[in-house]
Amino acid sequence: MTRAIVRYLPLLILALAWEAAARLSLFSSLALPPLSGIATAWADLIRDGELLDNGLTSIYRGAAGLMLAVAIGGGLGVAMASSRAVNVLLAPLVEIFYPLPKSALIPVTALWLGFGDGSKILLIFLGCMIPVTIGAYNGARGSDQVLFWSARSMGAGRLRTLWDVVVPSALPEMLNGIRTALALSFILLVSSELISAQRGFGYLIGYLGDTGSYPGMFAVVLTVAFLGFAADRLFQLLMGWLLRWRE
Amino acid sequence: MNGHAQIVVEEVSHTYRPLRGRPVRALADVSLEVRSREFFALLGPSGCGKSTLLYLVGGFFPTESGRILVDGKPVAAPGADRGIVFQHFALFPWKTVQANILYGLERQGMPRAEREARARALVDLVGLRGFEDSYPSQLSGGMKQRTAIARTLAIDPSILLMDEPFGALDAQTRALMQTELLGIWRRTPKTVIFVTHDVQEAVYLADRVAVMSARPGRIKTIVETRFGDRDPGLIRTPEFVEKVDEIWNLVRIEAIKAQDREAP
Amino acid sequence: MARVEDLSAPPVARAADGERGRGLNAAARVAARSFSLVLLLVAWELIARSGKVTPFMLPPLSAVIARIYDDATSGVLWANLGLTLFRAMVGFFIAAAGGIALGAGMSRLRPMRWFFDPLISIGFPMPKIAFLPIIMLWLGVYDVSKICMVVFDAIFPVVTATLAGLAAVDKELIWSARNMGAREHELIWQVALPAALPQILTGLQVALPIALIVEIVVEMAMGGYGLGAAMMSASRFADSRGVFAGIVEVAIVGYALIKVMAAIRRRLLLWHHEAQAVI
Repeated sequence: MTRAIVRYLPLLILALAWEAAARLSLFSSLALPPLSGIATAWADLIRDGELLDNGLTSIYRGAAGLMLAVAIGGGLGVAMASSRAVNVLLAPLVEIFYPLPKSALIPVTALWLGFGDGSKILLIFLGCMIPVTIGAYNGARGSDQVLFWSARSMGAGRLRTLWDVVVPSALPEMLNGIRTALALSFILLVSSELISAQRGFGYLIGYLGDTGSYPGMFAVVLTVAFLGFAADRLFQLLMGWLLRWRE
Repeated sequence: MNGHAQIVVEEVSHTYRPLRGRPVRALADVSLEVRSREFFALLGPSGCGKSTLLYLVGGFFPTESGRILVDGKPVAAPGADRGIVFQHFALFPWKTVQANILYGLERQGMPRAEREARARALVDLVGLRGFEDSYPSQLSGGMKQRTAIARTLAIDPSILLMDEPFGALDAQTRALMQTELLGIWRRTPKTVIFVTHDVQEAVYLADRVAVMSARPGRIKTIVETRFGDRDPGLIRTPEFVEKVDEIWNLVRIEAIKAQDREAP
Repeated sequence: MARVEDLSAPPVARAADGERGRGLNAAARVAARSFSLVLLLVAWELIARSGKVTPFMLPPLSAVIARIYDDATSGVLWANLGLTLFRAMVGFFIAAAGGIALGAGMSRLRPMRWFFDPLISIGFPMPKIAFLPIIMLWLGVYDVSKICMVVFDAIFPVVTATLAGLAAVDKELIWSARNMGAREHELIWQVALPAALPQILTGLQVALPIALIVEIVVEMAMGGYGLGAAMMSASRFADSRGVFAGIVEVAIVGYALIKVMAAIRRRLLLWHHEAQAVI
């Protein structure tokens, strides 16, 4: 317990330094609102529902896009590893889109679907699919031939064996791919909402900034940053549980 | 113990064609017959194709030339009548011991209560009570192999294909497992094809031993190795030692040939 | 990191050894990949012209290429490209130098390590782009804030890679160098950093695409010319050819940067391995 405190002590020190600097008016109070002011603003935003309202919109968009990316990207990765035909068809596409900076998709999804939920979900789906597909593909390829044969000789058909053997074998690498996709989904979500949106975290940040409500703006920024961090930690816990069978 | 010919291999050849490099002829016109409920060993130096032959009988590769018949029907695909046990256990690492054993039973559509009971019986048979909920990563080599055997026996295949199953175990465990296997085989008689490069193991366990030549593999000769009583003391008797010697001489020439081939 | 190059390897569920295969050497694979690219481009053109999608949704490749050509001849392309690359590369180099320095400092000095460790480990998975409005508040709406955002994002993988690389340096290497009289700064520059070079380069290879991505996003958010700003403004004006032209341009830049980094890595590590062989 003390080790955790010592480890995270720098953050506490920074927080205290922040509060002190703000109160001592070392910087303009606009540019650096005191932490206490930010906390108050945060509470206000919760109370009048703004934070929750926009937050749920963002979370819905991110989750929907990510789940689509995982389901379809994962399926495609496993299919590519299992079938030569699918591989020949899709591998070049993956190789071509892998180096494309995914944020380049923001204008085109906005072009197609406007500024609402649809464009954001499509953006996250397209952008996050590649790391999941690559993870699933590499994981499935590493699956052991003898496991496949064992399952077949116990009466499992080809398709069944795909599900029973290849998918679980692919899980460790696929989960790593999903972890990358998770971080990417946050980035794409926040970016696209900052650039063009009428609801959501990014929109709220921009709105509060435009109207000069800086404590509130800081509050939402820190909330989003924290959520990104928390999501990653939670996912790591999930990974640990799903992969508990490893040494 | 002697039955009709359950497995018939007729003039089977097999060539590996890797994506990179040249094709390798693993088997050349192999023919043999394995009788029902016989313990049959395939013995030979590394690379002689004995595992390949096993996999062909298992249906994991298509037969390119020649025929393999099991119970009169040509082998077309893997099936639950031919159970397989691999050298490195091939357990599903994400399933517990119990779940591994249950797998085949689930595929066979056995009702839940029945399969749980059968799995429990098998866990007892191989002496793993108390470890049903362990993952393979938590088990020793011997325990993993016992789980693998239990898993294959669960669906009661009439044929057992074993690919150097004790090769990855230390000497003491190997000796214990050999005795255990014989015990199991006596209780639930099956046709066994046992691949090994260990002459003593082959002579101890098997009714007949097929000695294979170096690559490309052919059946050099088949030797009768049935002894009356197969208790562990057998390996010190003069008849046994003589038999091992006889077969070792047959294998030695092939082993040297195989080594020469690997030499730069 | 994903092994993208291996995507054309044989599938798992076949009896791989029994397959009749073609021997694919390196040249053939490059040819295969270029062929697929050509196929993709041809498919693009055909689908766009088929009438199944509107020219708005998917402008034909020929129209997009024409647009790129126009922008190139009018100079607009080079102006935007130059600005984007300038800002991204400045940010990248600052992140590289700062990241390596920070990583080296953290590796040598306990207090520094203690102080920055939680910042790095918490900061890594955060969507740091969320801090852009704060940076704009502090630093204005011009290049400085753009570059600052790039540095903020790109520095993390460099620090982590430097730390990992230095931690893995063989203790005996350091001890023998010290034995031969090397001083602190010589140890760092002549022994530790070169030994950690492969891993540091990996960190830089991760940081470079990040720098490009962040720069593009920042331009989309803030405007002020550059490839990202041009794409976003095309999007707002429903100029779909402009949007797709931007995607193609950005894709080419992204691909080129990765290739350049890979070549630099090969060159640098060639030296590295040769030097070790001489010893």
